[in-house]
Amino acid sequence: MKAESQKSLSRFTDQTLARHAALPVRAHPSQRGLWCCGIALFLALAAPLARAHVVPPEQFHPVVEGYRRLTFLLNLNPVLWDEVKADADRVATGLEMISKQRADAYRAAISNAIAKPTAPVKDGEEAPGPEMRREAARALFEVSTRALAELLAVELERLKASTNDRNVAGQHLDLSRKLWAGFEHEVKATDQPMFKEIGLCWLKMATALGSAPLLGQGEASVDAKTLQEEADEILAYVKECYAAFHAPASRALAPVPLASKTFDPRAAIPAKLPPGSNINKQRPRPRQILNLVARGVDETETPLVAFGDMTFDSSLIFGEPARSLGLSCNNCHNKSITNPQFKIPGLTRHAGGLDVSSTFFAPHANNGVFDPLDTPDLRGIRFTAPYGRNGRFASLRDFIRNVIVNEFNGPEPDPIVVDAMLAYMMEFDFLPNPMLNKDGTLNTQAPEAARRGEKLFNKPFAQMNGMSCATCHVPSSHFVDHQRHDIGSVQGAEDDSQDRALDTPTLLSAKFTQPYFHDGSLATLQGVVLWFDKNYNLKLGKNQVADLTAYLEAVGDGKEAYEEDPDVAAPAEVEEQNFFMASWEFIRDKGKFDLADLLFRTVAQELRNEKWGLRYPEATEVVEQLAQLSDAAIAANKAGQVDVVNAKVAEYRQLYAENKALIDGASAPGPKPTVQVSPQDQLRLVDYLLGGK
Amino acid sequence: MRPTVFLSIFVMASTLASPLGAAEGAKLQSKPPERPMDAKAAPLNIAFVSYANPQQVARDSESVMKYLQKYLGVPVKGFVTLDYGSSIETMRNGKTDLAFVDPLAFMMAHEQIGARPLLLEIYSSGKPAYHSCIWVRKDSSLKELADLRGKSIAFADQVDMSGHLMPRHVFVSAGLLSAKRIEGEFFKQVYFAGGDEQAMRAMFNGFTDAAGVSQYAINLLRGEERDQVKALATSIESPSHLLMARSGLADEQVSRIKQVLLALDKTDPADKAILDKLYGVQGYAEASLTNFQEIARVAASYGFVKKPELFSAHSSKP
Repeated sequence: MKAESQKSLSRFTDQTLARHAALPVRAHPSQRGLWCCGIALFLALAAPLARAHVVPPEQFHPVVEGYRRLTFLLNLNPVLWDEVKADADRVATGLEMISKQRADAYRAAISNAIAKPTAPVKDGEEAPGPEMRREAARALFEVSTRALAELLAVELERLKASTNDRNVAGQHLDLSRKLWAGFEHEVKATDQPMFKEIGLCWLKMATALGSAPLLGQGEASVDAKTLQEEADEILAYVKECYAAFHAPASRALAPVPLASKTFDPRAAIPAKLPPGSNINKQRPRPRQILNLVARGVDETETPLVAFGDMTFDSSLIFGEPARSLGLSCNNCHNKSITNPQFKIPGLTRHAGGLDVSSTFFAPHANNGVFDPLDTPDLRGIRFTAPYGRNGRFASLRDFIRNVIVNEFNGPEPDPIVVDAMLAYMMEFDFLPNPMLNKDGTLNTQAPEAARRGEKLFNKPFAQMNGMSCATCHVPSSHFVDHQRHDIGSVQGAEDDSQDRALDTPTLLSAKFTQPYFHDGSLATLQGVVLWFDKNYNLKLGKNQVADLTAYLEAVGDGKEAYEEDPDVAAPAEVEEQNFFMASWEFIRDKGKFDLADLLFRTVAQELRNEKWGLRYPEATEVVEQLAQLSDAAIAANKAGQVDVVNAKVAEYRQLYAENKALIDGASAPGPKPTVQVSPQDQLRLVDYLLGGK
Repeated sequence: MRPTVFLSIFVMASTLASPLGAAEGAKLQSKPPERPMDAKAAPLNIAFVSYANPQQVARDSESVMKYLQKYLGVPVKGFVTLDYGSSIETMRNGKTDLAFVDPLAFMMAHEQIGARPLLLEIYSSGKPAYHSCIWVRKDSSLKELADLRGKSIAFADQVDMSGHLMPRHVFVSAGLLSAKRIEGEFFKQVYFAGGDEQAMRAMFNGFTDAAGVSQYAINLLRGEERDQVKALATSIESPSHLLMARSGLADEQVSRIKQVLLALDKTDPADKAILDKLYGVQGYAEASLTNFQEIARVAASYGFVKKPELFSAHSSKP
């Protein structure tokens, strides 16, 4: 105890902190500095305390992270073999815990599997077909699944062999549980009896590990017999289901426990994103400017726009898997603005982009090419036709339909849905920019460097066929020319193919829409300037690069790009549902009761997502009541009881109006208010108060 | 006993009467005059505990130490420990003057090395107190504690105030369990899951019928999962985590430390910045031994506290 306390007493240095990492795992909870098996997961789960609508990424052991991500990647077409290989290497690193030979054998198997589909195609030979890709993916998945199972089995055996030492046994138990997480999602979905049985095994083992004393009190001894018995039960299951795992060709690649006697072959496996994904909306929220609101109009009086706003926020207009994952337009185009954090491994090359023609979201519309696009900012979209990075849609209406049906697998949308989304999106405005004159030129509020850069921007370059930057990015026309150009940023299908043209993007608000270019390959505006300098041999001096960058930053600037206080997000999102509810009468009078169902379901879902982010528990309760009124409206609507729906909507509006101040956090509940706590404050407590277990 | 989740504003913290009300917790004091630094004075050593993110706590503590230094006039040095046991041991060895601990660690430290309670932390409920809950799934048929007869429960850890002793005491108070632990009594099976999160997950996934853990453990579930569980019962309240001092620390210095920390005002931006970094607490309330009177009896029934009378009204010292 004494020696350990000396270890734990640390100066604030990385060195001593690193030393803490060597402390025993299964010490008493008040002593076990590294009973950290749950810490990362805990942090992941605890983060929603502050903002429940922000789902923290799941945290896995690196081996499991690699295994789960490569499984996701192997189901895609095309398979990103380099990324698969990197993830397989994580699994291999884990196998080194068994032996270097075992890890090397696995690496060799991976290389062998990848070699065939990635071999260069010789002249006169045909490129490898889909079957070769599928075979390689299956082989790689099987060998990785067996490797994970082997690792888990070895850890459980080590646990069994170390029951005379609580700390060592605790470390093996900790790692075993983490490795089990590689299979848990599929076992839970398809083999509930064994999911519970194995869950109980872990519980019994944790109990059997006993407890270390606190200041000499409360020690509970290790129950070696139970530890061994329960480890054996898990071992038997793992060996039965995964040791000689073969993936059937008829299913997607997933570690389903096919050999289990209680496996349910009809059970659906819920969609799950790979580790490393982040589809959360931005916090603080970007500032959205709706033109009609800027003109003083109340959105509750513009039902078509309100309904469009709702559909923009609704995952229910999409099909699976976007629907189950809660993905809506608003996740990528957060409040109409590019979400630079959005990322899904295998579908994203640079954060802030997505391959919208992928196997995952809409297999029927997969184009077979990994071609993620940087998510465009939708501000001022009514001024920036045509649509799509390559300008393939002249009509925004067509573009919207395509996103719903062919990018995210949704059902054919009702014309009202598309009308409404169009009406809503037509209200998106650019950020006001006091440095710009009405003709798009800079005024004296712009920095001197930017004004020097403006001259360069307008200067024709012989290297650009006598054109200037402003030729395409026309300042007097929102910095677009509504044309498509091949500037050399796209790799064509062939050397002489004519498939490289892209729509000219606006530069307005661009300061907040990084990364840049259609594929998000350039992280900064300076990078954009340097790209043109290099590729067009402009011979810009250092100062000219700086001036041109300053110009782009000035043009792309805007007032109050983000809401200052992240705490306003949840109340504002709840308020939005009130706007959405304003569209009920419009939908009712059109006789579109299926759309009413969409409305009420979306409202209930959004309210339940947001209610945990409010400041007062009383406000959370009120918002749950609002959600329940939406539930009641869904039921009444389904039963065709329009009068009841009317009554529930009226109740909703009244309840919201009566409690708006409470929901906003502006007014405390009751005569003796609870302490107002910001979400940030709550997060700070996580490390302090919960990390120990 | 271990750091407990004090994160939520969402749980029913306001629904229970507390022996430590908001009014008691909200006594702001004025700041004393600053003192010039006496570099030769013995430093004040503070143990900050952190399980999950020691580097962050180390960084955060710097502003707190500067603040204390400014008003105390002596060098203030900080350490991060990864557990309360270590904090107490360093205090026993005279290397730590102040330490942030939980109630069980404090009571044992008081008994064993005479540690003094200084200040209780105030959390989102506005009270320097918290409780534990018996959590069950809403879709279960369980309506009251007695329905758990012959069922299973998961606690966090055997040596855990809010994750075992307090929720277990709920059953003792209801006459369903004996004060002394008897194997096989009432429950069909009792598990110690290894943490609040594991215990809550065990209940949520249906591995066990109930979980007996901190009131704040519900926040370890995702939003949509929280809607699927409910608290069947709540425990007595425990004083919150606290700042304790070693027994030999001079009275003048102790009262000065209290005054300086009690003066932190969450509505003042500069003070808020400091409180935010002091684990995000809302403020402090003066602590006394009698705050621990009730939970000392609970801890004593399990052998962690040997002399619960040390915490009773007639024997307690300031």
